[in-house]
Amino acid sequence: MTQDEKLKLIKDILLTDDRVFVSHIEQKIAKLEETINQKKALSVKVDPIINDKLDDFIKDIPATLGPTITETLKKEIKNSQDAVVEALFPIIGKMIKRYIQHEMKLLSERINHQLNNTFSFSWFFRKAKSKATGLSESDLILQEQSNTKIEQLIIIEKGSGVVLAEYSKTKMADEDMVAGMLTAIKSFVEDAFIKEDQNLQYIEYDLYHIHLQNFSSYYIAVVVSGAYNIIYKDKLENSILSFSTKHKIADVLNNKTALTLKLKDFFKNE
Amino acid sequence: MSRPKKIVLIGHFGVGKTSLIRRFVENTFTKDYKVTIGVHISKKEIHIKGDTPLTLVIWDLEGLDDITKMRTSYLLGTNGFIYVFDLSRPVTYENLEAELEYLKTNYPNTPTKVVGNKMDLVNKAFIEENNGIFTPFVDYYVSAKLGSRVETLFTKLAEALI
Repeated sequence: MTQDEKLKLIKDILLTDDRVFVSHIEQKIAKLEETINQKKALSVKVDPIINDKLDDFIKDIPATLGPTITETLKKEIKNSQDAVVEALFPIIGKMIKRYIQHEMKLLSERINHQLNNTFSFSWFFRKAKSKATGLSESDLILQEQSNTKIEQLIIIEKGSGVVLAEYSKTKMADEDMVAGMLTAIKSFVEDAFIKEDQNLQYIEYDLYHIHLQNFSSYYIAVVVSGAYNIIYKDKLENSILSFSTKHKIADVLNNKTALTLKLKDFFKNE
Repeated sequence: MSRPKKIVLIGHFGVGKTSLIRRFVENTFTKDYKVTIGVHISKKEIHIKGDTPLTLVIWDLEGLDDITKMRTSYLLGTNGFIYVFDLSRPVTYENLEAELEYLKTNYPNTPTKVVGNKMDLVNKAFIEENNGIFTPFVDYYVSAKLGSRVETLFTKLAEALI
């Protein structure tokens, strides 16, 4: 046995285990390479198809899933109204608060401006008016600032609640329904307070004031927006009384067209 | 210009006054029963052949077991009454004669239509069996659920108001 053959024999004996191990690793690397190459090859072919499908799916979402999502959302909101309100309330509340703060600031600036105009003609006039009416100067300024406006007038037959005439600059509500409900409320309140000859004179609804002025067979309901105070009430009462006497309303109660024209003619600038 | 007329529906609890109005005004019906508190007002304009249109302002009063206890201020200026009872509940028509007499005495010139509602819950044999109770008083047998004769009821009452 030569030297080389002896060396080879020793190598075989010593390295047999390592060779088996190396062979395993080689096989694993080969498999790994194969997988990677196959996937890469596959993905080159498959990816464009998947991408196209995904694009189509995204495009079709509004048509296919849209109604279902909308319906589900509607149902969820309907079923959890309290939760929705709970969630929105702080946000809306903050917005309203900010708006009111802003408006109050503007109002305060305007009032300050007017108060600072001391010794002006309007200052003397306001002082005199305040003493005469018993209203504070600040109330008078507030009234000057607010834009009190008649929104709707309805002449209503007492008892039946039938509309005899109606005039409105901007249609606020269905006059027949309002007249009916006002008459029902009036009847209820006036029945409840047993004392005779008393009438409901005023109803407040949200931002509107409903002034009720009673006559023997009819009453007039005036929907007012803005500041409604004793001065305005007094002015309105006088206007309605003068309308009633000037146009002899009692004589034309059965003529809706004529009555409506008279009402419009008298109050169009109020 | 349309002429307004006040129509008042009266009758016991749950006889279907509100359902009749809803069928006439909105052409809808619901099985959900919501009791009327106080009064509810609806309106509908109708056209009677050859005459000015009429606006029927319909007052739906809360049901009472005894109509003599009704708040009379709600009835002031009424142009026409509809008295409703429930064909399927005898308690709603056992005092029919007395209650109609009360209306006739207190509102002698006001046209009144008497209707047996819920016709869908009884059959013709039942009506024939109770002929003696119903026939002298009843104008129409109606069903708010099916909508049968509801339109006729209101139209005929409107015609009586012209």
